[in-house]
Amino acid sequence: MNNANGILPPIRPHKPAPPPKPRLAVFKFASCDGCQLSILDAEDELLALADKVEIAYFVEASRRTLAGPYDISLVEGSITTPEELERIQEVRRQSNYVIAIGACATAGGIQALRNWHNVDDFVRKVYAHPDYIQTLDTATPISDHVQVDFELRGCPINKAQLLDVLTALLIGRQPRVPSYSVCVECKRRGAPCVTVAQGVPCLGPVTQAGCGALCPAYRRGCYGCFGPAEAPNLEALGQRFLAMGASPDEVVRLFRTFNGYADAFRLAGDKLEEMQQ
Amino acid sequence: MTKTITIDPVTRIEGHAKISLYLDDSGHVNDARFHVTEFRGFEKFCEGRSFSEMPGITARVCGICPVSHLMASAKAGDAILGVRIPPTAKKLRQLMNWGQIVQSHALSFFHLSAPDLLLGMESDPVTRNIMGLISKYPDIARNGIRLRQFGQDVIRILGGRSVHPAWTVPGGVRDPLAAEDRDQIKRALPEAFDIVELALDLLKDAFDDNTAEIESYGNFPSLFMGLVTPEGGLEHYDGLLRVMDSEGRTVQEDLPPERFREIIGEAVEPWSYLKFPYYKPYGYEDYKGMYRVGPLARLNVCDFAGTPLADRELRQFRRLGEHGKPVTGSFHYHYARLIEILFALEKIEEVLADPDLTSDHVRSNADVNQMVGVGVSEAPRGTLFHEYHVNEDGILQKVNLIIATGQNNMAMNRTVKQIAQTYVNGGGLSEGILNRIEHGIRVFDPCLSCSTHAVGQMPLHIQLIGPNGHLVDERIRD
Repeated sequence: MNNANGILPPIRPHKPAPPPKPRLAVFKFASCDGCQLSILDAEDELLALADKVEIAYFVEASRRTLAGPYDISLVEGSITTPEELERIQEVRRQSNYVIAIGACATAGGIQALRNWHNVDDFVRKVYAHPDYIQTLDTATPISDHVQVDFELRGCPINKAQLLDVLTALLIGRQPRVPSYSVCVECKRRGAPCVTVAQGVPCLGPVTQAGCGALCPAYRRGCYGCFGPAEAPNLEALGQRFLAMGASPDEVVRLFRTFNGYADAFRLAGDKLEEMQQ
Repeated sequence: MTKTITIDPVTRIEGHAKISLYLDDSGHVNDARFHVTEFRGFEKFCEGRSFSEMPGITARVCGICPVSHLMASAKAGDAILGVRIPPTAKKLRQLMNWGQIVQSHALSFFHLSAPDLLLGMESDPVTRNIMGLISKYPDIARNGIRLRQFGQDVIRILGGRSVHPAWTVPGGVRDPLAAEDRDQIKRALPEAFDIVELALDLLKDAFDDNTAEIESYGNFPSLFMGLVTPEGGLEHYDGLLRVMDSEGRTVQEDLPPERFREIIGEAVEPWSYLKFPYYKPYGYEDYKGMYRVGPLARLNVCDFAGTPLADRELRQFRRLGEHGKPVTGSFHYHYARLIEILFALEKIEEVLADPDLTSDHVRSNADVNQMVGVGVSEAPRGTLFHEYHVNEDGILQKVNLIIATGQNNMAMNRTVKQIAQTYVNGGGLSEGILNRIEHGIRVFDPCLSCSTHAVGQMPLHIQLIGPNGHLVDERIRD
């Protein structure tokens, strides 16, 4: 176009575009929402996080849901319906990293307790028209269905551990999440051992650290929120509880809670139940 | 030609849900339904567990209101033991419960609803969320986060962590409160009071911009139910059940909550898996027994709040009802929520000044003495019932949970329909309209993890019924 009055357009300084922010997505399957809410609970860190990543999919926080692909997908909850079976495959296809967060996503969660029952009984108990309910027979962890890049344990997860994993991914280092047992945290905290001192059954020796030995500090036994620690010896621990006077039923119930469907806890509970029969 | 519009997922509420709207030939909304899509199965898998495990297990129903389930479950356990818990234990449980009212209502107001109220229902969805709020109104967003943090801190200080604390037990609580921890809460109170005052100002400013919304967002007569103190004051932990109609008549005088079965029935519809609780004496037909629970209902049924600042706000709130009648517009759940935050902060201040609060006697011990236990508390979203039947060893034979969101089910369906009929008429569906419908659901702050503790995803079965009652169209999606 002819520039009649001779004024030249201002020169735009040459500035490279800033690299796009990593895109974070948060997906929910069957769960209580407690783990994904720890993102909203990260208070001050939330403000910093909003700066570092683009939140592309987080229905709890936003009406905007952007199409993939996503750099990091946090997945909460277990797989319980045919629709979820398909949705998790789509999440995997769209995601660079899939991080399973919480006991539901990593072990099936509390609702996996139904895996020991006939699911039809469940539906009939609560619903007058069971034909309308569509559900799978089991509640299963994400890794039963797709490849998971990292599993963050806990019921609920530890907020600091979540921030560590996100930071690790953003700056390219390994996450620093311990695989040792709750006993280590308990000793570090200086809490007396509830099993030795009070004769209370405690899953601390076989449970992964992460809670800061919360229950033993309140003088109650650990009930396994963070799932099995590395190489746990549940059989020996179960025998110890029985020797202390716990009934086999009680021990089975202790193994079968929020992480009851995790391999180590499940096998130990099933074995004890078989021995009884 | 009939058409179905689906909003899926419904965002910025707790859990997963979707909404279907059914349009007639001329594009007018014929009907609207609110669906929840998940299955967990608590009532069944709790059978065979010990009642003493139930606070820990049922807290996992919900990551937002775990404390409500802890309270209801521990109280059902108290009833099974047949004990009165030590006074300090009751005060500590109340303290935690008020902490939860603060955190949950702050989440609802600041994180989930404020983006609509402050940025506008029709504003760009790209920024209409907590992140958008952070960039446009950083101070307000920060304040919201701080207020929620206060409530979460109360829970964490008492129970060790803010989600699923292992703290309440049948017979009381597990650990006393140390004086230095009490003082830590006390020091954080002034800031929390400042923030809720600011939130009240923000909301009242929004009233002027939302006159049409106030009129159409679930504004209809219904019954209201909530707990009141024996004197008729606002109550969240204990008390008696009261039911009031929208004329302001008390239709159910204060009933001991363990007798809830006498007044609450549960209906089922073939098109929904979520049950429809209703007020039994009025029946289920024609929405006669429809009642609302939660902050709006609690403020409607109580005679007074019982703390100075909340009572002052309550007097203003009452002016929103016609001629001193109950407030029927669901939009005012927002206002009721903020008044309850104020009330909870005042009660926290009051109980922190109680010298008994740091006593060591916090647990009553007993064996199983009763075969049935009912525990009731006011969750942020409304009245919550846990009913347990046990054998002599305390092993659960039968479990029933009636949760707040389910009790608002009828009212939420009616709200969606009202908004859709106001805004979706012939024209296309703008993002703003979709968000209005969502906001109508959001005012109830539904807790869908709670709603779906029992039942789950169903293939959609859509029926369109013509004016003379015959089936015009039917679709089954599986």
